[in-house]
Amino acid sequence: MTRTEFMTRLRRGLAGLPATTIADIVADHEAHFADALAEGRSEAEAAAALGDPDRLARELRADAGLRRWEETKSPSNAGAAIVALIGLGAIDIMFLLPLLMGVLGALFGFLVAVVALFVSGGFVFAMGPLAAPPGGPMTAFLAGVGLMATATFLGSLLTVATVGLFNAVVWYARLHFRLLKPAIENQG
Amino acid sequence: MPEAIEIQLKKGVLALCVLALLSRSDSYAYEIASRLAKDIDMGEGTIYPLMRRMQSDGLVETYLVESQSGPPRKYYRLTSAGRASFTQQKAEWAAFTTAVEDILGAAA
Repeated sequence: MTRTEFMTRLRRGLAGLPATTIADIVADHEAHFADALAEGRSEAEAAAALGDPDRLARELRADAGLRRWEETKSPSNAGAAIVALIGLGAIDIMFLLPLLMGVLGALFGFLVAVVALFVSGGFVFAMGPLAAPPGGPMTAFLAGVGLMATATFLGSLLTVATVGLFNAVVWYARLHFRLLKPAIENQG
Repeated sequence: MPEAIEIQLKKGVLALCVLALLSRSDSYAYEIASRLAKDIDMGEGTIYPLMRRMQSDGLVETYLVESQSGPPRKYYRLTSAGRASFTQQKAEWAAFTTAVEDILGAAA
């Protein structure tokens, strides 16, 4: 593989990362080729020693994805990290997917329940006092506030559980992160 | 199977080796990569993901040095967190290898 081919494939594999990150990585590898050539190695030798550019790009992307998730716990970052890890083969999708679907389904069910509880709390809060409830308007009013507070509390528990779940997935993936294996194998 | 063990071992010690090289003197990626490729037979490409990770973990930092030929070269040096991590990992490694040596010696 020539230097140009290597860099083209690396760049293509990195598409989607922030421009400064791509520029950094590209500069690192360009410098590597420059140093290798200065040492009298051929472009093909240098490229072979670096390993498969597609694979390197996937590793760099997966790492960037994990990093973003660790910095900011947002749903889109969680999604990006998972997708990047799947691309790397760090997560065995066939094994993990049914499990993940089950857990996500349960979480979603809880979310619906929490929202329903909050809405019914709001209803009791707003309408209860008008409906001449047992115990007087004040009781209905307070019961409504209580239901909404409970829903908010359960909602925050749910958020913590969801973040915990994705952390567990990231931990699992790191455990199985076969970052070096291909590069070492490529040498043989 | 022996290959699998070898890969796992290399994977585990690679970061430690980079810390060790940088603890002796600042260096640039190509130099680190060719040194490790020669001595422990690792793929040169692995150095770049590793250096990026170590940098974002705050173990190393970079600075540019002008070179006569071509663009300025990016050097890596250990941060104080990197030094602390090296000291700790080195002690862990020593304890681990001693324990393994003992077991291997006992088995022979």
